[in-house]
Amino acid sequence: MATLAMTYRISLYSKRTDCVLIWSYCDYAGEIPGIMKTFVIFVTLFALAACADECYKDVVAACNPTLSKQLAGIANCNAKYGGIQELQPDLQRFANHLFFRSFDFLLMATHYGNYIKNRPGFEKLFRGLSDSLWSDGIETIKYITTRGGQMNLNNIAKDLQDEELTSPSLELYEMQSIAKALDVEKKLALQAFDLHKSASGKKHESHDPEIAHHLEEEFMEKHRDTIRELAGHSRDLSVLLSGPDASLALYLFDQHLQK
Amino acid sequence: MKGFGVFVVFCLASASAALQCEHRIPKIPDDWIDMNSVCVKRIKSHVMEELKAAMQYMAMGAHFSRDTINRPGFAKLFFDAASEEREHAIKLIHYLLMRGELTSGVSDLIKRSLMPSTMTWSDAASALRDALQLEASVTKKIRDIIKSCEDETDFNDYHLVDYLTGDFLTEQYQGQRDLAGKLSTLEKLMDKHGALGEFLFDKKLL
Repeated sequence: MATLAMTYRISLYSKRTDCVLIWSYCDYAGEIPGIMKTFVIFVTLFALAACADECYKDVVAACNPTLSKQLAGIANCNAKYGGIQELQPDLQRFANHLFFRSFDFLLMATHYGNYIKNRPGFEKLFRGLSDSLWSDGIETIKYITTRGGQMNLNNIAKDLQDEELTSPSLELYEMQSIAKALDVEKKLALQAFDLHKSASGKKHESHDPEIAHHLEEEFMEKHRDTIRELAGHSRDLSVLLSGPDASLALYLFDQHLQK
Repeated sequence: MKGFGVFVVFCLASASAALQCEHRIPKIPDDWIDMNSVCVKRIKSHVMEELKAAMQYMAMGAHFSRDTINRPGFAKLFFDAASEEREHAIKLIHYLLMRGELTSGVSDLIKRSLMPSTMTWSDAASALRDALQLEASVTKKIRDIIKSCEDETDFNDYHLVDYLTGDFLTEQYQGQRDLAGKLSTLEKLMDKHGALGEFLFDKKLL
């Protein structure tokens, strides 16, 4: 029992306290002798003090005319549970990454919309990718807040900040632009995989099957199809551009993209 | 004949070795491209202004969708406004493309330092007030562009000015009227019934 109680005490120091545990240990108290009982009760009291993260307690205090004057609000009545606290910064970076790439694709679409490039099909393709990442970004913010989190639009990954400084050219030839888009979409998909790994991993603080499930359903399926589509385009283009008339091939391919 | 055959095979082999990814840039007369460079620059920087406004609205949407704020109606209003501002930026880009602009330097058109200055609001009314101020500042910037593109002594850009006046200013004034009306209704609702007023108005926005 002592070992059990000790394990339990240690778990109190972790960020996520399982308040339910207290009561199961209290039930054991009846079966154990004197000194141990005192110890368990002591631990339980200690636990109750540390385990103040309960909405109900806050409400009881807030509704009590004497206590409510000292205690501020119902801070523990929130939607947070599971791994959101731990995964929130990663989710924020993911959302900001989506916006960043949405702007990249918007610029790529713009390039194909000028009168010299004049490829309405490519313009449509990249505009579609941009729109899609933009709404994905908004959905990610909504999701973070659904889980009791908070968005931070300034939380941008270091490599993206560096990329912003060097601002690599997005005015690319057709084949190159498809290749670039494919790489970008894969990177986003892999970032979702990383998040999924943390959410479904063994680490207690970040374990969160709901986040993992959400990523699977809302992002991974969509990104899978986009990646397949872009890979298909690059295969088609690679064959067409090795033919005798690349210019005509590009014209026809662009027509195909407009559909 | 045999030599020719070898030559053809060689040509085919070399053709499949490298893809013909780059192609000739055609020479197109450019006397139809008549926008004043100052004007172009101002429109380009206004694209950024619209995107900045979009991200500011995004921050508002994010704030009001929080569980501890819980104003889904306002969150929806602001998220929609964010996408609308982005559409404005895209409309301006399309306009420049129509006028033969943006054939180079596209990569620098959008700077990602769009991060909003304010991320939290004390209540919905203060966010509406900020939104109204934001719109007013955007309107002022559009007016400034109109003024400078109309005043050019060598080239009065009638079409751009008409487009900005007819399309953009109309939307600005309608949007501002809408925000001001909402703020007024909200303030009146909250006059005697603060929390209840905001709660009811938020549900009305859904």
